[in-house]
Amino acid sequence: MSEFVRRELPLVLIFICGIAVLVPFFFPHPFLNAVKAELGNWAVIIRNVTIFLGLIYMSFSQWRSLQRDKSMGGYIYFVAPYLALVLFVGTALAFPGYINSAQYQWLYQNVYRAQVSMYVSLPLFYCYSAAYRAFTVRSIEAFALMLGGMLYTLRQIPLFTYLFPVLLPIGEWIMLVPNVGGGRGATIAVGLAAIVVGLRTLAGREVTTIEVR
Amino acid sequence: MALPFWDLLGLWVAAFFSFSVLSFLWKDNLYYKFGQQFVVGVVVAHNILTSMQAVYNNGVVPIMTKGQITLIVPILVGILAYTRLSRDISWASKYPVAIMIGVGTGSMVVGTLRGQIIGQVSMAITDVFKSSAPMDMLNGLIIFVGTVASLTFFVFTREHRGALGGSAKLGRIFLMISLGANWAAETVWYLTQMTGRVMFLYNEWLLKGILGG
Amino acid sequence: MSGDNTIWDKMGSIDYRYVYAITIVLILIPVIRPLGIPMKTTKITVDYFNAIDNLPAGSIVAVSMGGGMGTLDELESAFLATWRVLFQRDLKVVFYSTTADGPIILDYHFKEKVKPENYGKEYGVDYVRLGYNPLGEPGEASFALSIRSVYSTDYQGTPLDDIPLMQNIDSHEDIDLLIYIYTACTSVEIVVRQWIVPYNQPSVGITLGCCGPMASPYYPGQLLSFLSGSGPGAELEIVGNVPGPGALINDAKNLGIIGLLIFLVLGNASYWGKRLTGG
Repeated sequence: MSEFVRRELPLVLIFICGIAVLVPFFFPHPFLNAVKAELGNWAVIIRNVTIFLGLIYMSFSQWRSLQRDKSMGGYIYFVAPYLALVLFVGTALAFPGYINSAQYQWLYQNVYRAQVSMYVSLPLFYCYSAAYRAFTVRSIEAFALMLGGMLYTLRQIPLFTYLFPVLLPIGEWIMLVPNVGGGRGATIAVGLAAIVVGLRTLAGREVTTIEVR
Repeated sequence: MALPFWDLLGLWVAAFFSFSVLSFLWKDNLYYKFGQQFVVGVVVAHNILTSMQAVYNNGVVPIMTKGQITLIVPILVGILAYTRLSRDISWASKYPVAIMIGVGTGSMVVGTLRGQIIGQVSMAITDVFKSSAPMDMLNGLIIFVGTVASLTFFVFTREHRGALGGSAKLGRIFLMISLGANWAAETVWYLTQMTGRVMFLYNEWLLKGILGG
Repeated sequence: MSGDNTIWDKMGSIDYRYVYAITIVLILIPVIRPLGIPMKTTKITVDYFNAIDNLPAGSIVAVSMGGGMGTLDELESAFLATWRVLFQRDLKVVFYSTTADGPIILDYHFKEKVKPENYGKEYGVDYVRLGYNPLGEPGEASFALSIRSVYSTDYQGTPLDDIPLMQNIDSHEDIDLLIYIYTACTSVEIVVRQWIVPYNQPSVGITLGCCGPMASPYYPGQLLSFLSGSGPGAELEIVGNVPGPGALINDAKNLGIIGLLIFLVLGNASYWGKRLTGG
């Protein structure tokens, strides 16, 4: 297959799709809007069709883990996700309502929610350890970090705003004034970088985004 | 009053997986690994189920009911993504990625320019004058100074010396306050999550599930 | 060696597991015995409430449900208060989910916590659920242009054209307020880029507490307001007079933060004590 089809045509496709979505911003014609809406739907469909790649790559990773550790623990580690996969997919297909069935929701609430909520809350301990070990005030920047952090933290805890009512307006001021000052500058800087990368991508200069290894 | 069987079983299942995560605080162990891999499988299963439903609703149903045969294109192009599993034809997987990148970049560029750059710059200026109250004007001025200073921090093409150095240092302080506020908000988020989990384990699992209260 | 014996060294070398245990105990105390400390409200939450309350009767509200099960402890108070405020008013609500957990959360809430029928709301007439579609930014842009380009049915498979409420709703032009719920902090840029900038769509947000500082630069010039976390969620319960779980969960986190303060002080005291005494 020619080099044009392998290398250049995908970049041309990026340009065409990008321009087709960009133009309606400036010329909101019904036909152009319809093309933009259709392409957005195409992107959604493509994303969903490729979902099984996740399962395939997960399987590759599980297989490599098993080769490294063939003890009982290694086998349990290998089997566990497939056990969950069969249980959940089987439940969704076996009962009417698909993922809206009471049985599927029971599983989802009691397995997924319980565990993921706990995973999300686990970094609390690491934040406390970090505060203990790493958040020492060694410079003016570290002091600014600590001040902004502590005042905004205490503003969110009812006990402290009850004992020290001034913490509420101070905490709000931290979020709405210096935080906005710093955040706005960062937002503009990130936006500029995003525009540059975006235009380079549309112009076909950013090939790393579609390289296949 | 005794809970119905499925509710009671649900509490024990949720507690089992909650403690599997908490066990990591002691040390990495097989109980934790099983729970971790099981939830990986749950996530994969749920995403497969919902993605297939999305393909059906967004792609298959409009083709069959409204005759929108153009939607066959993204389904076929999405299938091309699986060619990356073969070294000989992996170049074909660039096409679905190209469409997604093109559409995504096109969607992003104008909004970033108008919303994140022009919008934020204009708000940085107009915030100074939006109210005649002295405190509001002072806050607006602080935001403006913070925005300019934190922007100068991101100028890497000149050495930070002299006026630029001073401005960049001030910008760094504003950014540190912003980061501190972000870190504080994140810590309180983890605290809320952990509080929610502890409330569940105490009120639901212990009091209702075990003690029958 | 002398380096391990000073009080500053001892302060700086407490075993992590004591840190974790103390944290759990501090969190558990107010769970067992609530402290009952009242909360105060802020202007941001009042602005959020007013954005909904000031809508004329019959207005269309679109809710982009981007919440996740794993963050429900943080966001549930904001969700339930918002659903109650919406259903208490003569508003038409279109829910669409952009995360896989969205439909399950809505099912759970509408079947067990906030039943629309208790507010006299009828499915298909007063509110509709479009189900999950992983829109992403391009999909969100398509949704704003034409809902039917990304949704052909509701979450139960009923064609949109057969639903009374959806007869005259197909794009941003038909939506009076967008409530954009997201848990990835940078997603605030999606609502700014795809709704606010092109169409000047009145929008408010619900997000995690940690995303509040990132959303602040857009308030109030672009985003009318936002709720960030369980604290503002509890504030909305007060402002909107819709009691919910927010008060309890905010009360329960009162002592947990003391652990952070203790360890911050210990860590800094250890560092500065060693530095100043030449240790």
